[in-house]
Amino acid sequence: MLTQSPALAVATERQDSPPGDLAIWIFIFAELVAFGVFFLAYAFTRANHVELFNHYQLHLDRTAGLINTLTLIISSWLVVRAVAAIRVGDSKGCVRWLWGAIALGGLFVVVKLSEYAVHIGDGITLSTNTFYMFYLSLTFFHFMHVLMGMVILAAVALKAARGGYSVEEHTGVETGASYWHMVDLVWLILFPLIYVMR
Amino acid sequence: MTFAVSDRILLVLIALTLVTFSAPAFGLSETMLVLGVLLLAVIKAQLVVDYFMDLKRVRGFWRPLLTGYLLLVGGLIAWAFIPGGGG
Repeated sequence: MLTQSPALAVATERQDSPPGDLAIWIFIFAELVAFGVFFLAYAFTRANHVELFNHYQLHLDRTAGLINTLTLIISSWLVVRAVAAIRVGDSKGCVRWLWGAIALGGLFVVVKLSEYAVHIGDGITLSTNTFYMFYLSLTFFHFMHVLMGMVILAAVALKAARGGYSVEEHTGVETGASYWHMVDLVWLILFPLIYVMR
Repeated sequence: MTFAVSDRILLVLIALTLVTFSAPAFGLSETMLVLGVLLLAVIKAQLVVDYFMDLKRVRGFWRPLLTGYLLLVGGLIAWAFIPGGGG
């Protein structure tokens, strides 16, 4: 039987402002605009080089892309649970969920680095062709955001472990969580765009 | 055993991701593959906006802003990918 958990039941009332610090939402939207421009540049450049893009897309490891997509989705869910935990004052639970999310972020990094290692081993660089220029720069831009997100979540986890957040004041947890969900959201578009659509 | 809303959303996101991954094997036309996969991507992203970012219960412009972003970017990508579109 599906029921609402007590932790989630706390957060059902309507709010006037998004979770976390307002500044992070301005930053998130700016990041989404930057990624959006990048996505559209890829899509419209591909429209003039369809055969090239379709050919080299087949060289990508789609299974690695799938693993990384699942990794980020589950990681994002762990962060949701961390926020739910701190909303009911469960600091230890919050810390545990956050480190789980960070660990999955680490798995994403390892899988992505293994993909890059294969490309580098094949002598592929940014100047190999237009497809790889977009693939490497777009995925590396996202990769840097994953690293940044892991640093933010680690800082939040360390503060939570010291009892720095409470039921009344946990803006920092929500702020870090919102950034991490943005990293997930961007990958949800990036994965089909670069690995699947042809 | 209890399931929070976020647990169910997680399962939906995983299922849609597996469909996206398998889509090229479905024998769809180029246009249908592009539209189908993009639609799934927008739905997944909207679920993240609503239930992970928790904007579904926030009044004001943030949720419409992100939904508009997804529809605009998704629509333009579709236009660029469909034969005779952005080329």
